[in-house]
Amino acid sequence: MASTMTEPWLLENGNLKGLSREITRHGRTAHNMSSSSLRKKSDLTLVSKVRWGCLRLLLTNIQEVILGTKLSVLFPAIPLAIVAHHFGFGRPWIFALSMLGLTPLAERVSFLTEQIAYFTGPTVGGLLNATCGNATELIIAIFALSHHKIDVVKYSLLGSILSNLLLVLGTSLLCGGIANLKKEQKYDRRQADVNSTLLLLALLCHVLPLLFRYAGGASAALTADANLQLSRASSIVMLISYVAYIIFQLVTHRQLFEAQEDSEDDDDATSEEVAVIGFWSGFAWLVGMTVVIAILSEFVVGTIEDASESWGISDISLGVALGSATQIAVFVVPLSVIVSWIMGIKMDLNFDIIETGSLAISIIVTAFTLQDGTSHYLKGLVLLFCYVVIGACFFILKSPLNRANVVDLGLKSSTEAIFRA
Amino acid sequence: MDSSSSNDHHHQQKEVTANWMNMENGGAADKGGSSCKEIWSTGKTAQIVSSSMVRKKSDPVLVPSNARFRLFRQFLANLQEVVLGTKLAVLFPAIPLAIVADSYKFGRPWIFALSLLGLTPLAERVSFLTEQIAYFTGPTVGGLLNATCGNATELIIALFALYQKKINVLKYSLLGSILSNLLLVLGSSLLCGGLANLRKEQRYDRKQADVNSLLLLLGLLCHMLPLMFRYASSSTPGIFNADSTLQLSRASSIVMLVSYIAYIFFQLKTHRQIFESQEEDEEEEEEKAVIGFWSAFSWLVGMTVIIAVLSEYVVGTIEAASESWGISVSFISIILLPIVGNAAEHAGSVIFAFKNKLDISLGVALGSATQISMFVVPSCVIIAWIMGISMDLDFSLLQTGCLAFSIIITAFTLQDGTSHYMKGVVLCLCYIVIAACFFVDKIPQNAVNAGGTPSSRVLAA
Repeated sequence: MASTMTEPWLLENGNLKGLSREITRHGRTAHNMSSSSLRKKSDLTLVSKVRWGCLRLLLTNIQEVILGTKLSVLFPAIPLAIVAHHFGFGRPWIFALSMLGLTPLAERVSFLTEQIAYFTGPTVGGLLNATCGNATELIIAIFALSHHKIDVVKYSLLGSILSNLLLVLGTSLLCGGIANLKKEQKYDRRQADVNSTLLLLALLCHVLPLLFRYAGGASAALTADANLQLSRASSIVMLISYVAYIIFQLVTHRQLFEAQEDSEDDDDATSEEVAVIGFWSGFAWLVGMTVVIAILSEFVVGTIEDASESWGISDISLGVALGSATQIAVFVVPLSVIVSWIMGIKMDLNFDIIETGSLAISIIVTAFTLQDGTSHYLKGLVLLFCYVVIGACFFILKSPLNRANVVDLGLKSSTEAIFRA
Repeated sequence: MDSSSSNDHHHQQKEVTANWMNMENGGAADKGGSSCKEIWSTGKTAQIVSSSMVRKKSDPVLVPSNARFRLFRQFLANLQEVVLGTKLAVLFPAIPLAIVADSYKFGRPWIFALSLLGLTPLAERVSFLTEQIAYFTGPTVGGLLNATCGNATELIIALFALYQKKINVLKYSLLGSILSNLLLVLGSSLLCGGLANLRKEQRYDRKQADVNSLLLLLGLLCHMLPLMFRYASSSTPGIFNADSTLQLSRASSIVMLVSYIAYIFFQLKTHRQIFESQEEDEEEEEEKAVIGFWSAFSWLVGMTVIIAVLSEYVVGTIEAASESWGISVSFISIILLPIVGNAAEHAGSVIFAFKNKLDISLGVALGSATQISMFVVPSCVIIAWIMGISMDLDFSLLQTGCLAFSIIITAFTLQDGTSHYMKGVVLCLCYIVIAACFFVDKIPQNAVNAGGTPSSRVLAA
């Protein structure tokens, strides 16, 4: 790619070479680093043969954005989903296609925010990256809220947290442990500690409403209102903690979060440090992608119950599958509560006992796993098995969705559901 | 916190940059006599050291030096040392006001507020006096005294609540004291310390934190078992259940007291160095006893009587205050009471964190929490047993959950021996969430636990 540097289409960003290295160090979060590994170098020789500069620029742009990821084979699912929607296909099909289409889009959004971050400077860029890293979850959550499907919101966000904590982390530790069997695997545990404590705070905010409801006993009407107030206050507290976390991460303790990138400066990283598309085109693409994500999210949210019925699996396991941990836990979840407050919807932080229990065990197991700054494959295996067990539990739990909002003491309904399966 | 005009106005300050943080131990290095140092390292616990931060040097010039009678002069000096020796002395007028308000039958919320204000300086003064007495009794007895009287206010309030059979107020206030020490005092110390020492590394000895975490976990187990016992055997008749819960609680209390004795032994005898490393550069200029043994003793007795009177007011008027302010009893006793009781330690702990002496801050917060959990709570159960009141260790579900969470998150936070402000932020926010939870908790308290119904409002005088 360096050889084609003289081409005019690169003038828009070619002169950034000197600056960009510094910017990368500030702007990126681990989230972006991770999804960037899915990208592939696009071969530009084909495009460079086109004569007209403007058209060539457009084509390059499209190639960079659409074909720049290995997940781009899934892009055809997007038009198919829209077509399926228009021609009134079976709802489970729309759901499946929309889910497939959302996968590459989520990666592309983080690519585009990263591109924009090259132009906005480290702090704004870091903020953008931190916020848009979970744009898909946020958009789905807001759409589900507008459909008053509060339980879908809760379960999908919970699923995101669980899958990040157990599945993503577990697979990484397992594969890393097997690949580097003879080497010692070390990481900076301070970063893990910060995330663990924030997750514990989020857990407290979920546990208190639950305990509150149980402690309230028979007086259900009395506690529901108090529960809502408590959830809203907790959401504000969590958002404050997220702001503090962002400041901590980007301003005061940057070195803690940067250490991870030291070993990343290999040949692969050097070629990725220039912005490959311009600011405005990046922005336009971002807006376009967001619209597409919004459409697909609406499909997903609108069809989730039908899909669940026709496939015979519960919504919760779909919610778990929807997932992409700290960000969701202390940013997306409280933001959803605040947004629903503004929209006049009564969403609280009260999950049911089985969901809260899974969350608690996941957070505590993860925090314990990351205590000593080293890793081996058994840690990954344990985390994965935890995920499998929780997944199995939700798979056989076929209770109706609105159960969560009804005050029912005891686990009777859920245990019945387990035996029925 | 703003103890800028601190206790060394007669030291010349060489450093022009000396802000209030290093003012306080500015002249310590050249003064530390060896004998004083020894007393320092034996008698005091971190808690006492911390509350000493809010003291000020009283200016002896004020006492008329030409007063004829030596006895009178001594008495004045004594009075000045004891009454005016703290920056919280501005709150002392609240004590006579509270008594006046009570005898002239003012509104009960007023009596409550004034008593609460009056208790704040008294808590600090008691620890000052025990420290003075410790100079005369030698290290072991002194350490024991300090360790026991560190939370004298909480203990006295608890005893009065027990006497008036307000078991819930008693449980709530002790739980609140543990929570506020673990989350609020520790959190704000780590937060302020982290912000003040943003560029420096903040280290502490995690062995001390580990011992305290372990003891707190043992305490948690003792609280959780009766709770689970009640939930597990909810099908069986309640009378049998309550009886065995009570027996379990009493046995657990004895175990907790034994573990507290082991902890004191560990702290003062065998592993003193763990708890001492924190004090090595702490020699200040307060190393000699400023008042005599007997006068200190009589002051201590007097203070205790006043604390007892005020505690009685507080306990007696808490429900009236709750009604007229529209705040639940659980919020007042879990959140407000402990903030008052811990005010002096809290300020001291934050100041030490500012100076990047986290060991002392941790010693204050964790030591105090451990003491309440492992000493004050089981003592109350045993005393209740002696008085024939059936008090068990079964806090309700919500309270036990909060306690469990605070202990676990604190233990996690203190796992690696370093600190930064984010840890403090998270702990403080946890406290806010718990406070919000009890604020909206309007469930009538005797519906939760019918142990002691506040049937009669016993009020003296």
